[in-house]
Amino acid sequence: MSCREKSPWIVHFNCNSCNGCDIEFLACLTPIYDVERFGIVHVGNPKHADILVVSGAVNHRNARVLKNVYEQMPSPKAVVALGACGATGGIMADCYNVLGGVEKVIPVDVLVPGCPPRPEAIMDGILQAAKLLNVRREDRPIEAEVRLTLQPVGEPENV
Amino acid sequence: MQMYIILPLLLIFGPLLFGVLVMLAPGWRFKTPLIVLSALVMIAGAVLLALQGSFALSIDARIMKALPLIELLIIAAIIYIGFRIKKWLVIGLGALQLAIGLASEMLPHAAHEHVSALNVDLLSMIMVLIISVIGSLITVYAIGYMKKHEAHGPEQMRSTGLFFLFLIGFLGMMNGLVLSNDLKLLAIFWEATTLCSFMLIGHDRTTAAGESAYRALWINTLGGAALMLASLLGAAGGGPESLDGLVAGGALLPLALICLAAFTKSAQLPFQSWLLGAMVAPTPVSALLHSSTMVKAGVYLIIRLAPGLGDTRLGQVVAITGAFTFALASAMAVSQSNGKKVLAYSTIANLGLIITCAAIHTPLAYAAAILLTCFHAISKALLFLCMGTIEQSIGSRDIEAMEGLMRKMPVTTVIAIIGMVSMMLPPFGMLIGKWMALEAVIMSPLVLFLLIMGSALTVVFWSKWIGRIQTVAYHPSYKVEDVPFSMFAAKGILLSGVVVATVTVVPFFKRIIGPMAVAAFSGVEVAPRSWDLMKSVDSFIEWPLFAMLGFVVLVLLLTIKGINKSHVREPFLCGENLEGARTTFEFRSLMDKGESARIRSYYLNPLFGEAHLTAWANPVAMALIFVMFGVIGK
Amino acid sequence: MITVDPVIIALLAIVAVPFVGAIIMGLDRRLTARMQGRVGPPLLQPIYDVLKLLRKEPIVVNRVQVVYACLHLAFMILCVVLLALGQDMLMVLFVLAFSTIALILGGMSVRSPYSRIGSQREIMQMLSYEPILILMMVGIYLINGSFMARDILVSGKPLLLSLPLLFPAFLLVMTIKLQKSPFDFATSHHGHQEIVKGITLEYSGPFLAILEIAHWYETFLLFFIATMFWATSIPVGLLIAAVCFFGVILLDNIVARLTWPWMLRFMWTAGLGLAATNILWLYI
Repeated sequence: MSCREKSPWIVHFNCNSCNGCDIEFLACLTPIYDVERFGIVHVGNPKHADILVVSGAVNHRNARVLKNVYEQMPSPKAVVALGACGATGGIMADCYNVLGGVEKVIPVDVLVPGCPPRPEAIMDGILQAAKLLNVRREDRPIEAEVRLTLQPVGEPENV
Repeated sequence: MQMYIILPLLLIFGPLLFGVLVMLAPGWRFKTPLIVLSALVMIAGAVLLALQGSFALSIDARIMKALPLIELLIIAAIIYIGFRIKKWLVIGLGALQLAIGLASEMLPHAAHEHVSALNVDLLSMIMVLIISVIGSLITVYAIGYMKKHEAHGPEQMRSTGLFFLFLIGFLGMMNGLVLSNDLKLLAIFWEATTLCSFMLIGHDRTTAAGESAYRALWINTLGGAALMLASLLGAAGGGPESLDGLVAGGALLPLALICLAAFTKSAQLPFQSWLLGAMVAPTPVSALLHSSTMVKAGVYLIIRLAPGLGDTRLGQVVAITGAFTFALASAMAVSQSNGKKVLAYSTIANLGLIITCAAIHTPLAYAAAILLTCFHAISKALLFLCMGTIEQSIGSRDIEAMEGLMRKMPVTTVIAIIGMVSMMLPPFGMLIGKWMALEAVIMSPLVLFLLIMGSALTVVFWSKWIGRIQTVAYHPSYKVEDVPFSMFAAKGILLSGVVVATVTVVPFFKRIIGPMAVAAFSGVEVAPRSWDLMKSVDSFIEWPLFAMLGFVVLVLLLTIKGINKSHVREPFLCGENLEGARTTFEFRSLMDKGESARIRSYYLNPLFGEAHLTAWANPVAMALIFVMFGVIGK
Repeated sequence: MITVDPVIIALLAIVAVPFVGAIIMGLDRRLTARMQGRVGPPLLQPIYDVLKLLRKEPIVVNRVQVVYACLHLAFMILCVVLLALGQDMLMVLFVLAFSTIALILGGMSVRSPYSRIGSQREIMQMLSYEPILILMMVGIYLINGSFMARDILVSGKPLLLSLPLLFPAFLLVMTIKLQKSPFDFATSHHGHQEIVKGITLEYSGPFLAILEIAHWYETFLLFFIATMFWATSIPVGLLIAAVCFFGVILLDNIVARLTWPWMLRFMWTAGLGLAATNILWLYI
């Protein structure tokens, strides 16, 4: 395991999301899930980050900002799109101002489906993206893996 | 044998002669070579004098008899100026000087067996070198500066020829001041420098210039009166009329008076206002006043008298006054956004530090005082010259307006940054001096505390300023700004001076300053601990400092080349960067409008504002001066 | 006493110190996590982070910031070298100040409002802790009669007994220097704050790694100074360092971030007051 996988620093960008994904994402940082176990640190800015975590569908206004944030990250870098909106635009896809999923603007490496995805799924997505940091961008599979389907709503297992 | 007499005379009267020649020379075509020639002659003279070794020189008795006449002439000039500018204060102080002068003539002089009039020892040699080398460089810089100033300055200003007469003549008077041992002679040169500075500060003849010149005149005349009184008291007691004699004699009242005179000349609190006002003058004048001449006359006198001050209460109070000035002036500098004012307060502060060191009565502090005098002169001259160039180029003295200066004038900015860094960081001389000072004052808690606070504040205002001017976007290459050769050359030489002085500081201390301090204190009783401190500084290993700096330079040369345009990203503005806005803090705001973020520096005005700090600092400083006289009797 | 070539000591310090610093930082992160009821990262996490950063793309805003990053690290190393050579403690402090100023100037050299605000706050931090550190050295001098680090380590008396008030003042200084709450407003170890990452914001990749390594040295330096409070016995000295460590992290976790004007007031009254009082009785 290389050091890149051991210390993926993430920056989170809310791209017009309904905050559902964001709340689940922030749950990852709490003592119950504690992503810092994996060396994951939630940094506040793209200059320090390895992985960009985007939630929500891209619209005409925030596409530019998303692109800027992505470009300010030093490579190697990876992108994780959260939720249905991040993947395709989801429920917002047909809105007049919505462009669609995150990959309309920047290359996405991992899609984490769900509406919203559960924290375990998000963590899994981030760790998969961390593995991709070792792979050159050109060799990466586009839209890497859609492993998880929609989760049933219910209590999380006893943790 | 001949050299003995010629060199001091050349250094004192040569500049006057050159000044007259420059004044009379028509046009820059003749003025420029004359100024350069005078600079070369003075530098050569100073170096030769330094190579000559110490000696004392007595002047023929007949000439000495004529001295009161010259003194009278100068006092008459002061009174005349007082009438011309219609200021009763100046006339009154002039009259006071006249009275003191006449009284001292009336007194029967004790028959002195041959006091040497001029004394050339290590301290005066160092001072002569500072004055002649740095001062001359400033006159060379003035060529380029005054050409521009002639074109853009106020209409009513005096002629440039007259300016150079006083500028170059000033150096001669200063040389005389640091060489003279006879108190009468000293007073004459003292007053002459006051008059020169009056003329130079008032050069522009604007209202502000007139005000400042007047203030400089009366404060320094007050100091002159104190100096004359000291000489009178010395004579009245049948005592010595020379600096040597005062040091050996041990009469405290004349010493206190001379300290007062030094405080006025070195613009210590509460006399700082004249130096602050002097900024209105053309920059070469400020550079001269702040670095090598004028203000250095005051600290020179205190250093000269330091062994005489002894371990007395007077010495302690002088030290506290200096330290108080150091701390308060540094605090006031923090609140200033006017670049020249920051420099002025920093000068005042550093002079306070030097005075403290000189008065604290340990050999280490004495050495620190001399070191600080040298390094301060070089760095401050460099900074003022940069400041002048910047001001002429951007038309402002406001530090906030210097944002992104690096792009407009990269060379000047880099030189200025090195100059500022040399004022506060290791391994530059100023810091070494400050370090020695802190160790030397260890046994006086109050002084120590003031120095500690002052040094912390010093760091604040310099780093704010450096941060402001160096902000820059990525540039593949810089266009070197267009600066007249004379200005560029003067700065270049001073810069290399800073670097050379830095590299050689430790040997300089060990070979010259250290033994000087040991010699100065050899017959005097000092606490045994202070010798230990001297040893601790002696055993300081300086090589890691330079090794590390060299290593960094090497690493940088390797790294910087590798950074190219493809590695450049815009700064983080939450992704709302404005395309193509590389030079400002611009970001995209509401309705896609570009907006600029203004980030002002912290000036801490409520805490360190000039007005309300001065309001209580001046009375306290005044009280300290009264205490200084009060403790004499004890 | 065995005499070792100073060059070897210096080299040894340069190589060994960052590891110790990294371990301390790792412990810090783990302890913080435990205090928050989390598991926390592996002990060697800081090392992984730096190794990762070193292999990232060297992106910059301008070249000037690289110069300052290198100066920051170099002078931090120099501090440790001077200490290892037993040199003058005041000079060590001045070199430390140079290092911090290089960091500040690096933050100011870029056109980033966040970074500039962070730098300004860092200047205020320096203004509030520098006098206390110097007073501490003065206190040590008054007890030992020497500014030299080597003399402090061979002196017979534990400093803590003579400097009981300076110790809490030093603890506050340590909290500031380690960028911990309530003084972590120039930059912070935690991801988010109102000025993002403040002074270190515009450094990324290897240049951020340089700053991290410098921070390791700095951490070591601070804890080393803490052990000097009981230099006569190494276990007790280490115990004192451990107490400092725990105290700082506890403080970090139980208090909120405060503003710099508050810090300045607090440090110039409480901090400086403690230090000055302690010094005063040493004089009398």
